[in-house]
Amino acid sequence: MNLAGQRRYGTDEVVDVVVVGTGAGGAPLLAELAASGLKVVALEAGPNFEPAGYGFDETLADEIYWTEERLSGGSTPEAFGANNSGTGIGGSTLHWGAFVPRADPRDFRLRTESGEGCDWPIDHAELVPFYDRVEAFIGTSGPTPYPWDEARRFPLPPVLRNGPAQLMAAACDRLGITATDAPAAVVSRDFTPDAAVPERKACIHCGYCHQGCRTRAKASMDVTYLPLAVAQGAEIRAEARMHGVERDRAGRITGVIYRSGGRDHRQRCANLILCAGAVETPRLLLHLDLATGSGQVGRNYIGHVATQVWGTFADEVAMNRGYPSSLITEDYTRPTNADFAGGYLVQSLGVEPLTWANSVARGRGLWGRALTDYLKQYNRVAGIGINGETLPCDANILTLADETDALGMRKAHISFGYGSNEDRLNVHATKVMREIWEAAGARDIWVLERVAHTLGTCRMGRNPDASVVDSFGRSHEVENLWICDGSVFPSSLAANPALTIMALSLRTAGAFLKGSP
Amino acid sequence: MTDDPVLFCLHFLGGSAREWRPLAEHLGPTMRCVAIDLPGFGDEAHRPGGDVAAMADHVAARIEAEVPRGPWFVAGNSMGAKVALALARRSEDGDPALAGLAGLVLLAGSPPAPEPMAEERRRAMIAWIDADPETRQREAEAFVAANIGAPLSPDDHARTVEDVLRANPDAWKAWLAGGANEDWRGRIGTLATPALVVSGAEDGDLGPEAQAALTLPHLARHRHEVLLGAGHLLPLERPDALAALIRDVVAAPPETAEAPALPPAFAALMGSDRVNSRLRAALRARMREPEGPFCLEPEERATLAACLDRVLPQDGPGKIDLARRIDARLASGTGDGWRYAALPPDADAYSRALRTLDAAARETQGRSFAELDGPGQDALLGRAASGRLPTIRDGIAPEQMTCWFEELRGEAVRTWLAHPASLAAVGFTGIGAGGDDADALPGYRLTGLNEREAWEAGIREAPITTGDVR
Repeated sequence: MNLAGQRRYGTDEVVDVVVVGTGAGGAPLLAELAASGLKVVALEAGPNFEPAGYGFDETLADEIYWTEERLSGGSTPEAFGANNSGTGIGGSTLHWGAFVPRADPRDFRLRTESGEGCDWPIDHAELVPFYDRVEAFIGTSGPTPYPWDEARRFPLPPVLRNGPAQLMAAACDRLGITATDAPAAVVSRDFTPDAAVPERKACIHCGYCHQGCRTRAKASMDVTYLPLAVAQGAEIRAEARMHGVERDRAGRITGVIYRSGGRDHRQRCANLILCAGAVETPRLLLHLDLATGSGQVGRNYIGHVATQVWGTFADEVAMNRGYPSSLITEDYTRPTNADFAGGYLVQSLGVEPLTWANSVARGRGLWGRALTDYLKQYNRVAGIGINGETLPCDANILTLADETDALGMRKAHISFGYGSNEDRLNVHATKVMREIWEAAGARDIWVLERVAHTLGTCRMGRNPDASVVDSFGRSHEVENLWICDGSVFPSSLAANPALTIMALSLRTAGAFLKGSP
Repeated sequence: MTDDPVLFCLHFLGGSAREWRPLAEHLGPTMRCVAIDLPGFGDEAHRPGGDVAAMADHVAARIEAEVPRGPWFVAGNSMGAKVALALARRSEDGDPALAGLAGLVLLAGSPPAPEPMAEERRRAMIAWIDADPETRQREAEAFVAANIGAPLSPDDHARTVEDVLRANPDAWKAWLAGGANEDWRGRIGTLATPALVVSGAEDGDLGPEAQAALTLPHLARHRHEVLLGAGHLLPLERPDALAALIRDVVAAPPETAEAPALPPAFAALMGSDRVNSRLRAALRARMREPEGPFCLEPEERATLAACLDRVLPQDGPGKIDLARRIDARLASGTGDGWRYAALPPDADAYSRALRTLDAAARETQGRSFAELDGPGQDALLGRAASGRLPTIRDGIAPEQMTCWFEELRGEAVRTWLAHPASLAAVGFTGIGAGGDDADALPGYRLTGLNEREAWEAGIREAPITTGDVR
């Protein structure tokens, strides 16, 4: 993004806030705080990309993924890198799929409803105005009315359906399942929400949402909230990797240490807001022994159950074309015959060839002639997948490994496994997806077990002994430390998290402005 | 008394025998370069030029007069390469004057098929060669500049421009309107003569994808090398690299078609303005095997190569050296952002897993893994996948082997599919989503089932098989 002419702050100047991370958690609040006149500096570990320079290629897209190594353990180890972890100004929204369901109101009080998992310390109704604001600003495309939420209004009509969406729509129609165009944070028309933000051209259906959007149709933070933040006076420093803090005797943070250009710098600050995601945020806290008194940092790591079902069709699907997940059903947020708490969303899937082939080779276990023959079916295959509720669990935890990275920081070790609720949900969803794909005419159906997203580890809550931050994201232990990213989620919610993180970000900004001196 | 090999050298359109001086110097006394002016060029500029067959006659006469006593080779740059291909066909057909041809060196060669070239550019080149001196000078300068990846030395540049200007305009036009358009595909057929094919990653119409699509299919024994940063006038641009490559293939001629060919439709898309320059450069660079550094021991590399032949068999002709690429990736220390906590770091995991496999082969069959037949290798890989290989000292445990074999399968397909020939093999058109003008990217207009845009024709047709894959 264009940073020329942005306001600059001296490192010895005590800025009001340092924000670490520029993704869905950091960007909206950066814009809010800057708009209110605060001096704000954002530190982003990754580079500043020019969207036009993305290559339309999965291998070249490695540049927007966080490829520093993490160790993945537990009974269902999760893949990181391209699966869910980004780098660069805009963070993970650069490779984000831009699928923007709102969280289901019932998911916020799951324990009350089912006795399982935990309730969030906030109510869905509190988030609705923030959802509305985010959607109006980033430009969501979708069907109004939306079958599962009468109040939801999309500023833009749906994006084009692709082959997998057509297959799923026809099958759902046959089976009596309600399905419709997906809520997508991709503009289906040229769009300018604010004079401070350059116009974004309508989606060209190239299919490369996960490799970086060249046209800026996708609402990644670098084309939405971050230009707004810069226009309001924020400074964004790229390739600035925070790895230390300075604190006064009372334990308040007084400065942030970051590595840039091969050497360390110190930015003085009055407040720190960590927005580095559910792996790097707790990793930093554990590394710095910051806010760790409750023993909660790193606990309750959560990823979504994200099982996919694949099949081969008589039709030519060429699933790389178009918005990848252009159909949704929310009919399974509370299935009538469920033997589990919570629910799941179902979406159609078009996937670029390397990502798909990697899933085939790893997840289907094919090799030899069976593998090469199947890969050549690329233009005939289509997928369907879920995003399912995942409950917090003691065994799922992020800790620091003995191995260190180039900065000398210990690598993250993530242990993650499904509990019985996830297993039961997965069985249910897999059966539903098989039925839909059989009704769609698929043959050679197979199931890819997959975990998506990174959540939990610094959860919000009212009880300081059982959570890391309060319901607004403020640390229970360090007065001028705040957290805003997926790490504050107490449970996963069935919805894909980015939209909710953005709404929380605006809410945290409001609380910060009200509560800080 | 010398039987040193002779390299007959045929220049590009507008070039001359002088083009080959730097290469001759780099080759030194071990290989004698005989550079020939084609009719209408260089010192033969008084002649009117002619078609490909006439140019081949001219060269054949020179070769016959030279009476090479040892093995001899023909090198051709661009236009000269098409003449070289014609000579190789005559030699293989038993022309006594051309007996003893030991190999071809085709540098940014004009292929047997009509040369891909925008009609507008062809017309412009035909026009300016007869223009006033000032225009000719300007256009000759521009012609040379457009055909190089980086500036030549001032002397080389001046000589090259001078050669273009002293070319016989009739010969120049004869090639553009005639020779370049001649279709020799049927006549050339498939040559058995070993060939070194070199392309420049910065070339225009005759770059790596054009060579892979239009030249490699005519060569049963070839090596294709892509020179990064080089354009079209390779003997002037990279005489040092070429000398090394030529020495290598003279010492060890390719026995098979080493590199994969590209379907012409995919190569044409790759060269078109629907593909952005960054992607084109990356795809071209991936047509070249990495030079290293590497980290696996030779036996480990051999085991890895044997594994990959079973995990991801390549039908050929031509093969991507997946083991070499993975070894280079391991040595680079880069990764995909995670690994199974159960495994040691990647390079160590690969090394130990490969040694475990090899030890299992020696223990059960008395031979190395690489020496086993396919079914024997498959049996061991099957045991690796299901965690049933025995534990060896310094190896990895059976359950780690399961994780590693999954990693290997993933890395194999990702490495394979990064190559344009593999993207073509699965019928992928996504590289054509848009070129360099980010404000006018075409993307896809049609995204639905059984919908296909005109530009996708010839690429999407993937082989259709029926039934389950297993």
